[in-house]
Amino acid sequence: MSKLNSKYLIVGGGIAGVTCVETLAILHPGATLIIITASSLVKNVSNITFYAKTIVKFDVSETEASSLKKIHPNLHIVYDSLRHVDTTHKIAYTDGGIEITFEAICICTGGIPKLISDSKKISRIIGIRDTESVEHFQEKLRNGRRMVVVGNGGIASEIIHAIRGIEKIWVVRDEYISATFVDPGAAEFLQDSVKNYQEKQENTVLRRHIFSEEDKLVSVNKNLKSAALGPDWYRKLENVISSEGKQELEIIYKSEVEYVIEKENTEYPLYVKLSNGKAIECDFVISATGVEPAVNFTWDEEPVFGKDGGIAVNELQQTSIPHVFAAGDVASASWEHSAHWFQLRLWTQARQMGAMAAKAMHAKINKEDVLQDFCFELFTHCTTLFGHRVVLLGKYNGQGLDKKYEILLRVTHGHEYIKFVLQNGKLQGAILIGETDLEEMCENLILDQIDLTPYGDDILNPDIDIDDYFD
Amino acid sequence: MVVRQYNEELKYLEKINAHCWKIKKGFQPNMKVEGVFYVNNTLEKLMLDELRNSCRPGMTGGFLPGVKQIANVAALPGIVGRSVGLPDVHSGYGFAIGNMAAFDMSNPDSIVSPGGVGFDINCGVRLLRTNLHEKDVIPIKEQLAQSLFDHIPVGVGSKGIIPMNARDMEEALEMGMDWSLREGYVWAEDKEHCEEYGRMLNADPSKVSLRAKKRGLPQLGTLGAGNHYAEIQVVDEIYDKFAAGKMGLERLGQVCVMIHSGSRGFGHQVATDALVQMEKAMKRDQIDVNDRQLACARINSKEGQDYLKAMAAAANFAWVNRSSMTFLTRQAFAKQFKMAPDDLDMHVIYDVSHNIAKVEEHVIDGKLMTLLVHRKGSTRAFPPHHPLIPVDYQLTGQPVLIGGSMGTCSYVLTGTHQGMTETFGSTCHGAGRALSRAKSRRNIDYKDVLNKLESMGISIRVASPKLVMEEAPESYKNVTDVVNTCHAAGISKKTVKLRPIAVIKG
Repeated sequence: MSKLNSKYLIVGGGIAGVTCVETLAILHPGATLIIITASSLVKNVSNITFYAKTIVKFDVSETEASSLKKIHPNLHIVYDSLRHVDTTHKIAYTDGGIEITFEAICICTGGIPKLISDSKKISRIIGIRDTESVEHFQEKLRNGRRMVVVGNGGIASEIIHAIRGIEKIWVVRDEYISATFVDPGAAEFLQDSVKNYQEKQENTVLRRHIFSEEDKLVSVNKNLKSAALGPDWYRKLENVISSEGKQELEIIYKSEVEYVIEKENTEYPLYVKLSNGKAIECDFVISATGVEPAVNFTWDEEPVFGKDGGIAVNELQQTSIPHVFAAGDVASASWEHSAHWFQLRLWTQARQMGAMAAKAMHAKINKEDVLQDFCFELFTHCTTLFGHRVVLLGKYNGQGLDKKYEILLRVTHGHEYIKFVLQNGKLQGAILIGETDLEEMCENLILDQIDLTPYGDDILNPDIDIDDYFD
Repeated sequence: MVVRQYNEELKYLEKINAHCWKIKKGFQPNMKVEGVFYVNNTLEKLMLDELRNSCRPGMTGGFLPGVKQIANVAALPGIVGRSVGLPDVHSGYGFAIGNMAAFDMSNPDSIVSPGGVGFDINCGVRLLRTNLHEKDVIPIKEQLAQSLFDHIPVGVGSKGIIPMNARDMEEALEMGMDWSLREGYVWAEDKEHCEEYGRMLNADPSKVSLRAKKRGLPQLGTLGAGNHYAEIQVVDEIYDKFAAGKMGLERLGQVCVMIHSGSRGFGHQVATDALVQMEKAMKRDQIDVNDRQLACARINSKEGQDYLKAMAAAANFAWVNRSSMTFLTRQAFAKQFKMAPDDLDMHVIYDVSHNIAKVEEHVIDGKLMTLLVHRKGSTRAFPPHHPLIPVDYQLTGQPVLIGGSMGTCSYVLTGTHQGMTETFGSTCHGAGRALSRAKSRRNIDYKDVLNKLESMGISIRVASPKLVMEEAPESYKNVTDVVNTCHAAGISKKTVKLRPIAVIKG
């Protein structure tokens, strides 16, 4: 059994873990830093674009874990999985039998996909969460004719958008699509983009790293411990088109999968029964229904867990055990949230939490004070849905406002969808779809809580250009 | 707001010369002094169309036309001289952007108003020169832009990381560019070419809320707010060879770098915090204003003083931001050209502030007075021989840097004696626009979307374009019109025109 010593130990090669490592490398370049990652590929954030102080868009790609060493000479990478943490003696034990001491540890083990119930028995149900399952998915897609997609988040939405040449049946629990992110109005706006999808291949230049053959995932550990997908993962799939399948999309609203059975000697190998009584036959089922925090190891003493099953952390990403931190999907934000922030397990938040954990760990080791980062004052998420830039701010769906709010709307078909959520004349949240140039103004209006009553509907009057009005 | 027919409104406006209009008392209630605005023919039409448009029935929206905002400022307690609208004036929170106004420090009723400074406190522009020529830069323009880009925003392994923790922040707020100098990010002579030497001495970080400090603290490896940008420019035209020469701008094609940045979110929080306090102070001191957005406090009240000290801290923060960008720009050029920044002659020509309030001495009706001068979207433009401008520019007048909107031309001007007497030594700051503009009019169809939303049981309002002027013109006030108007009116003098060859967003 080999032994290693570290000042900082990071567990997990996802966005949170890698961000934590990168931030520590800047803050404390001389310290020994160890990352435990199950896969030889880790997530990497690049092409960071600031639309405003807290609104940040970035690309997630994968990179060889070893490439991290170029920037952090003191980083030691352990390709293994965490088995047990002894928080009392500050020692971590891996599956591979390595013993690592630490002064502070950050758990960034991510989440595992919540699969529909029959998935364990049937290989034709594919849970999409990590890069490995995408590989699997790609194989299936080559000879499939009809698939059922279950789930209503970003990944399900992107699958529907990106996959062509196969019949798609999209089963959503809600009354509208992409419910995790948008409201029914925006969904209607986006749905037009799905319908109007042109055959023309858009000639977008991708500035970022794109997967090539040598990038093919080499998983060292086959247990499901690899990290979440990046926002561009579906580009891998775009060129995979089944030759026989018809291009067709059917959306079934307000429905869930009741059960799935495998059939032999029928046209399609799967039989899916929905809660609305409908039955569908298909080649495979894509389950993209969100994640649950993944704690696949044991503790000598368990920290406090949050209601959602994640490890409870305070505003400095610290668990109930002082030198144990957690960040990303595995963490449950258990501090008193500011008025315009809430937790949603997204890459954006994984990155923010990873950086915050690093700052807090560094401050703890060096006995300094640290403030919680301002990004936790305002929920922001920037993504691309159906080819449009989507920026979500604050209580963009009136979350927690108990229906005591107003909506102010501006829509131009195929161009922009702008929704303001107003309470007592003050902006509480916004959805900005398209190139609106309103990101920074909305951020400031939410954070400043300026009374917008005097402007009435004119605040979104398309004839009035207000991007520098509040400068 | 007084609602009158357009023809009635016009009676309060008088064209006093080819480039200047007077706004007479009575145009808005309680005007203590007259207003004035500077225009050429194009800008004049935009100003008047905007007013006419607001006189139409049903058009009394929340956005006042610029000319009304100038008049409302003329009604603030303690104002002296005139409320001045520069050619790029356009609607803003409280004060119009492009409005300057001065208040008598010796009058106990005089006020300070955050709306007269703006939210992005000390938003400004800095110009660096080089001894390079366009032809040196063009072949490696992409790499250069990329390396500036690499340095400015973020990146592990980037040499450009300027770390700032909570303690650094406190010091930077107090010290401004002296902090940048101490930390080795700027040269001592850079300070000489900044207004206030890059540091407002009355800054008091203890008057800044914790929320503002958190909001200003940069994310690691970034320069703070995000929305900074830099432009690589070349000298396109020289109008005043002598003044240009004093600035080290000797020939066409010479490469410069213009840096745009301010205090962004930090300034927003300082302004917001002050607005809340001042609303209370107004009730207590019974200060009446025409527009609630003109929230203000007496200069000598606690609220007034607290704001000025916090504003000064925000101004210092903005200078630190521009200094950090200066450092990164020099690094990037040095790396690309494998020469030291001083061998590339990368000196700061000047650094101007657009959104700020400062105590200055001016002569009013032959009498020397100490004034609190609010400049919002307006640039200080002191004349030759003014004691507050650097030795290098004593003979030319203070350099004034006018950034076009991203990607258009920029200008270097100088201050004039006429500007000193007419506009408290102030001129324009850039491009502007009238309230409405035709190009953003869009075809709007909501039905499907509304049907879907109504099921949520939330009250929904829809923003739609109101019918604007039948012949809605392009309402953009372009920077060349603006600069030429200031030149013709004599409030500043054209020196150099710059043309961008690359824009780098941070």
